[in-house]
Amino acid sequence: MRLYPLLFSLLLVAGLLAVLVGSGDLSDPELRDTFLKLRGFRLAAAFLAGAALAVGGVVVQGLFRNPLASPSVLGTTAGASFGGQVALLAYGLTGASAGFVVPEMIVPIGCFIGALTALAVLLFFLRITQDLLALLLTGFVLSALFLSLSAFVTSIAQETWELGRAVVSFSLGSVSGTGPRQLAFALPLIGAAIIACWFWGRALDLLLSGEEEAQSMGANVGAVRWWSAIWVSVLVAGAVSVGGNVGFVGLVVPHMLRPFAGTKHRRLIPAAALAGGVFLLACDIIARLVPSRSEMPLGVVTGLIGAPLFLLLLIRLRREHAYA
Amino acid sequence: MRNGDGHLPLRAANVGVSLGGRRVLDGIDLEANPGEVLALLGPNGAGKSTLLKALAGLVPYEGRVDLGDVDLASLSPQKRAQRISYVPQRSLLRSALSVRDVVALGRYAHVGGFGGLSKNDKEAIDHALRTAHADALRERIFTQLSVGEQQRVLLARALASDAPILLLDEPTAALDVGEGMAVLALIRRLAERKHTIIVVLHDLADARSTTDRALLLKEGRVVERGDTNEVVAAEPIRRVYGVRLIENARIGFAPESDPDA
Repeated sequence: MRLYPLLFSLLLVAGLLAVLVGSGDLSDPELRDTFLKLRGFRLAAAFLAGAALAVGGVVVQGLFRNPLASPSVLGTTAGASFGGQVALLAYGLTGASAGFVVPEMIVPIGCFIGALTALAVLLFFLRITQDLLALLLTGFVLSALFLSLSAFVTSIAQETWELGRAVVSFSLGSVSGTGPRQLAFALPLIGAAIIACWFWGRALDLLLSGEEEAQSMGANVGAVRWWSAIWVSVLVAGAVSVGGNVGFVGLVVPHMLRPFAGTKHRRLIPAAALAGGVFLLACDIIARLVPSRSEMPLGVVTGLIGAPLFLLLLIRLRREHAYA
Repeated sequence: MRNGDGHLPLRAANVGVSLGGRRVLDGIDLEANPGEVLALLGPNGAGKSTLLKALAGLVPYEGRVDLGDVDLASLSPQKRAQRISYVPQRSLLRSALSVRDVVALGRYAHVGGFGGLSKNDKEAIDHALRTAHADALRERIFTQLSVGEQQRVLLARALASDAPILLLDEPTAALDVGEGMAVLALIRRLAERKHTIIVVLHDLADARSTTDRALLLKEGRVVERGDTNEVVAAEPIRRVYGVRLIENARIGFAPESDPDA
């Protein structure tokens, strides 16, 4: 049980660094408060997005019985990102006059619908095949589809300069511009979904033996699949709405954790929430430290870590034939 | 005594199954009673495993299956799992769960998705592990066990649910002679504890040594039923398998402790 002290220590270190590191001089008494506030929001956004994506990764890996599954690999993140853009576009073209809705609310809703659509398509196809390659290819096709649709939305949005900028900056994704209202909306969503996933943990443990065995042991497999898809969609929507399209967190974090936290979902999920938060916080600090003209996007850092790991896992799995 | 409480008979009337447009089972009637082992026999493709899955409510079926006075189709998956335990030939579990955690999954029927394990649940898990002689394996990782050991753990998982009806799909397939005998002996012991047991068996000699009554299937229909000794007899076997049955022709094995050996 030394896992949690370790994770909390890492969180403390990463949290301190996240406040202290970055462009801007903290010794200037006039600007110090503003810098600290901005970095605080940024810290919270990175932690929340990381926690949500890591837990989402744990759940989809259980749901599809596949250690290579993660929201970004399956196209769920791309779906959420596209949904968010559509919401932003619709708001920009019409909703701005409605008054009572704000973009901070409408973007997560769009993200949720996009993520759930992507997962629903996958679940539909997985009724027909449970093959590893089929799952990854379907995820790839979904990602490609949502990316091209996103490009279309971006081009429509260019008609007005303001809207174009908003859509582009959203699709690039960053935790640096996240404000308190976005955080206030995403925090309860992500928190509730993580707790819900924890509660569904025992049913997800059952699904590790496949649908038939799970059902024979008393699980209502259909309900478990759809509720899990809904919670994952909430998590990914929350993450994308505060951090944009950040990939591979849901792949890397559960994989790093399993040797320490095991396979049982009720043990893995809280650990993944904490470790995912720390991981994305660390990636954000790296992004700030890499010398470049403009700051390196967060998704680039996670991609540089996640993509090689994904390939390594793929080679190992094909060799073991465990999931092929 | 924990396991087998409830003494529940299983009755199927006119059960049929179609899979992918193909008629796999047709007009099956059967009855299994507490304290009795019923064998499902027949060549490959006769529909034995499908029948077992239908009786467990795992594939859609026509006709009627009753557990005591209750219609199987009226039960939720959880209520069903409290009455029936189904043991697959091999588990699809590929994750690194410990044996104790695997057996604990068998308690889901009682705990449900949201609760935690009570003292009673833990006792049921320990009892199941001892009954299936899997106690020494409890800290081992399931996927690292031999096929025979895995089979004992799957039996323990089924027993942990305290379900009075046990459905076993070829529990001795891929086991060596010693492992197979241990599993068959366990099945007999469970029958003595008034479990209702239906078992798919490939080996007709095993069926004779272990089961009380048998159903011989061919192409989805019952062609012979009755005491196992009468079903596994020259005439039905010739009709279904196209082979001649020779009494006492096989070499036999017995556990070392068996005084008759």
